[in-house]
Amino acid sequence: MTRISALSNTLLWVTTLVALAVTIFPFYWMLNTSLKPPVEVFASPPTFVSAHWSLGAYETIFRTRPVGRYFVNSVIVAVGATALSVSLSALCAYGLTRFFPRGATPFVMFLLFTKMLPETLLIIPYFRLMSDLGLLNTYLALIIAYSSFALPFSVWMLIGFFRSIPREIDEAATMDGASILQTFRKVVLPLARPGLVAVALFTFLIAWNSYVWALVLTTDSSMFVMSVGVANMVGEYRVQWNELMAAAVVAALPVMVLYAFLERHLVDAITAGAVKG
Amino acid sequence: MVDAIALPVPRVARTGPLNRRRRHAGLLFVAPVFVFLCVVIVFPLGHAFWTSLHRVRGLSSTFVGFDNYARVLGDEAFWHSLGTSVVFTSSCVALHMVLGLGLALILHQLTFARTALRILFLTPWMVAPAVGATIWLWLLEPQFGVVNYLLRAAGAIDGPVAWLGEPGTALASVIAVDVWRGIPFVMLLMLAGLKTIPAEQYEAAAMDGANAWQRFRFVTWPNLRYLVVVASTLDIINTIRHYDIIGVMTQGGPAGGTEVLPVLLYNTAFRANRFGDAAAIGVALLVLVLAFAILYVRLTRPDRPETAA
Amino acid sequence: MHRRSLILSLIAAALAGATGPAAHAQKQPIVLQWQTANLTESQYEPVWKRTIAEFEAANPGVRIEPVLVARKDHWTKFVAAAQARKAPCIVSVDLATAAYNGYLLPLDKFFNAEPIEFRRAWNEGILSAAKWDKKLYGLPIWGGTYAEIYNRDLVVKAGLDPEKPPRTFDEYKAWAKKLTGKDQWATAVLGGKTDTTTRVLLTWIWGNGGEAFNADMTEATFAKNPKSLQAIKYYLAFAKEGLAAPSPTTTNYLEQTNLFAQGKIATMRNAYWAVPKVVGDNPAMKGNIFVAPNPVNVPNAPTLSTMTASSISHSCAHPEAAWKFIKFDADRKWAIERAKVANWMPLRNDLANDPDVKADPMLAQFIKIGTNARSYPLPSPVWADIAANDIVDAVQKALLAPEKTDDIFRELDVRLTKKLRDI
Repeated sequence: MTRISALSNTLLWVTTLVALAVTIFPFYWMLNTSLKPPVEVFASPPTFVSAHWSLGAYETIFRTRPVGRYFVNSVIVAVGATALSVSLSALCAYGLTRFFPRGATPFVMFLLFTKMLPETLLIIPYFRLMSDLGLLNTYLALIIAYSSFALPFSVWMLIGFFRSIPREIDEAATMDGASILQTFRKVVLPLARPGLVAVALFTFLIAWNSYVWALVLTTDSSMFVMSVGVANMVGEYRVQWNELMAAAVVAALPVMVLYAFLERHLVDAITAGAVKG
Repeated sequence: MVDAIALPVPRVARTGPLNRRRRHAGLLFVAPVFVFLCVVIVFPLGHAFWTSLHRVRGLSSTFVGFDNYARVLGDEAFWHSLGTSVVFTSSCVALHMVLGLGLALILHQLTFARTALRILFLTPWMVAPAVGATIWLWLLEPQFGVVNYLLRAAGAIDGPVAWLGEPGTALASVIAVDVWRGIPFVMLLMLAGLKTIPAEQYEAAAMDGANAWQRFRFVTWPNLRYLVVVASTLDIINTIRHYDIIGVMTQGGPAGGTEVLPVLLYNTAFRANRFGDAAAIGVALLVLVLAFAILYVRLTRPDRPETAA
Repeated sequence: MHRRSLILSLIAAALAGATGPAAHAQKQPIVLQWQTANLTESQYEPVWKRTIAEFEAANPGVRIEPVLVARKDHWTKFVAAAQARKAPCIVSVDLATAAYNGYLLPLDKFFNAEPIEFRRAWNEGILSAAKWDKKLYGLPIWGGTYAEIYNRDLVVKAGLDPEKPPRTFDEYKAWAKKLTGKDQWATAVLGGKTDTTTRVLLTWIWGNGGEAFNADMTEATFAKNPKSLQAIKYYLAFAKEGLAAPSPTTTNYLEQTNLFAQGKIATMRNAYWAVPKVVGDNPAMKGNIFVAPNPVNVPNAPTLSTMTASSISHSCAHPEAAWKFIKFDADRKWAIERAKVANWMPLRNDLANDPDVKADPMLAQFIKIGTNARSYPLPSPVWADIAANDIVDAVQKALLAPEKTDDIFRELDVRLTKKLRDI
């Protein structure tokens, strides 16, 4: 790394802090609103810190709405989609890099193509498909939908990752008597762990934040996920802003915590996977 | 992107029973994803194309051939929407890339609180776009929003500005919100890329007497070029399809000022209930994106040997 | 192969485990799904829960499953399900559009089989608003009449008399000028992208004796009818002249009620349900609100009344049971409850002497104003489209370029007439 002068350093820091302020200000405001009493939400001038901050809104939403249930549903769907996405994309990327090296390019083009379809057009055919399969109001329908959205980027990233693992390792394992599947599972996969973590984080994010699919594919309120639960709190004839923001905070928090812990893996994975094309 | 994916092809042509077995094994690995995506994409795609050839009235439909396409492509609203999409997408992606790269360069230089900063800067990407848009909607509210309050307190404006009230400022606002949402991912990719640039290259450049700009141009940029192409391709494809932010904030208004193609598509399908027309718009959008992707990939493929850094 | 059977059994286990709680539903008695955008209104929740509980107690063997959905996505969800012939049995949707698209079941045979005491509760006018192509597609449940709602304190402070509200357009403008001051405006012009914009515009058009459409809804006359164009210009001018809150193109019901609740605007054209919203936002407004009929330029000009009806979807497997629930929900008892908690006005004609109704003078006032009202939405299957898209676009364009108002609405007439005839 090059050394930089004190002036440059100060300039860098100032820019960073300004950018940081703009980046996280909305979250601060979300938190601020969720802690205010409802009357103060419209106070003019708006209050940045309030003597009346309380966890009342959080208490209310947990008491009056099955937020716990929504949370569990979100977790189940997100974890399920992650598991499916990681396993399928790992299998696929390994297969491509080891057995069809020349097929990787057209396959990636195919993956990209699948991402080009506008989401609105998918709503009705998806519903019909899931309805015909009898999968309405099931976790599986959402798991399938979310995995399909995450697969293109996951496969593509893992292709880069597996390519950076030399074939000699495979060959050494084969010569030791391992079958193809054993080579994959016991030798190569552990080496690709950062990539798998990245794919997992990426899929989890897609599954956790998605709204339209859960909206359309579930009608039973015991199956609602967080995003749907939050949206349902916007009445037209009365909106409790602080409760709405509290629900949004609860919806956003798990992903942030997860990312905070696993962020290092994400950067490592992208370094190895996407960069070393 | 294409050239980066291509591997050096094995020199020996592999045939024979051993390798046929390997190929079968390989198919087993790849098949699940392939089949999965085919079912999940091909069926809706087919359905969309089929619908676009029909005049749909609720549960009944009549075949009308390419009439819907003629009507959609003859409607001024479609072309206006296309133009808005082009403006929106190119502005967002350009700003994502420039600001994302800039931010990555800065974070790369800092040593203090690096991880914390990285995580904090990543937050807009972690929250659902619709939630982020809702918060920004509240922040930009003319009478009660904080943004106007802060700008007035700073003396930058003297009355409440209706950010979403006029086509020009509304488009700028949704672009700004999308930039807020989209920078983190680009920043992450660029940071990863910067980490892989060997230090020796910088030291060599420094010894040759290069200044900061020259170091960027001859060391940083060539190493990042591929990554930038990849990131921008993905970004463009994603942004052209993006509905959430505009759907939440303006629904395409005012006076069609922010009506990008996905919003036009949604409004045609679910507000106007003209599914045939909507499917035609969707297929047109798809063809557009596809054509663009192919063109873009061709353009960014280096067709001459790179000069050594 | 060993591996394959393992994978298959894993998939089978996953499918079995992942089908979730819905798997149990098949063993239950008749399950009717009920979807209306109002189930997510927090003040209505206790009432509908009791409605369901009491109905199920009186009808063992039938279970009502409420489908909660955010208002803005209600139609999307309904259409996606209707297209797959899996729509909820009992729904409240835009009648003409849904009926035209074949999503609803005609109710004539159920309604006509009821005793006369039941059928009498609905006026012919209200019922005809729930008809499409001469068939009845919904039972009117509740509605909202639009009138002019005022902030008493601000009116008094401006030196005006709350007992003598403006009755003509000119008087209203005079009031507006006095009610506009520093950081305060007389009213709000609605130009946001929902159909509420169209509703308010229509009240002004009708108030001037103008018409937006011809009698059988085959032609639009926003610009063609001179009184209509005159009213449009008068109403939109409030924004240009600074008498209305800024940013009209982003103002809808939510923003309008926010402004009113915080005392930034002194009057609003709205329905009775706006009052509890305002009081909920700002409890200090309680008792500070008064209501008057819309100012009009021709005697007996009608105002606008929305109508929400309960319908049975075409794919319902148990229409008789669904009709039973609709009848149950339309009963006077629930109509009164709804009026009390959410200020949704009952559409039955036999409640005027109900003590609960009489105890609420504002409700009585709205009911009286509503006796001279036209029903909304207007009876056209493309209404949902033109009200939320085309008419709003024209209003927004006219707000941004007032000098082009004539041309904008002439173009609107052409565009709408084409759509109205293209059915």
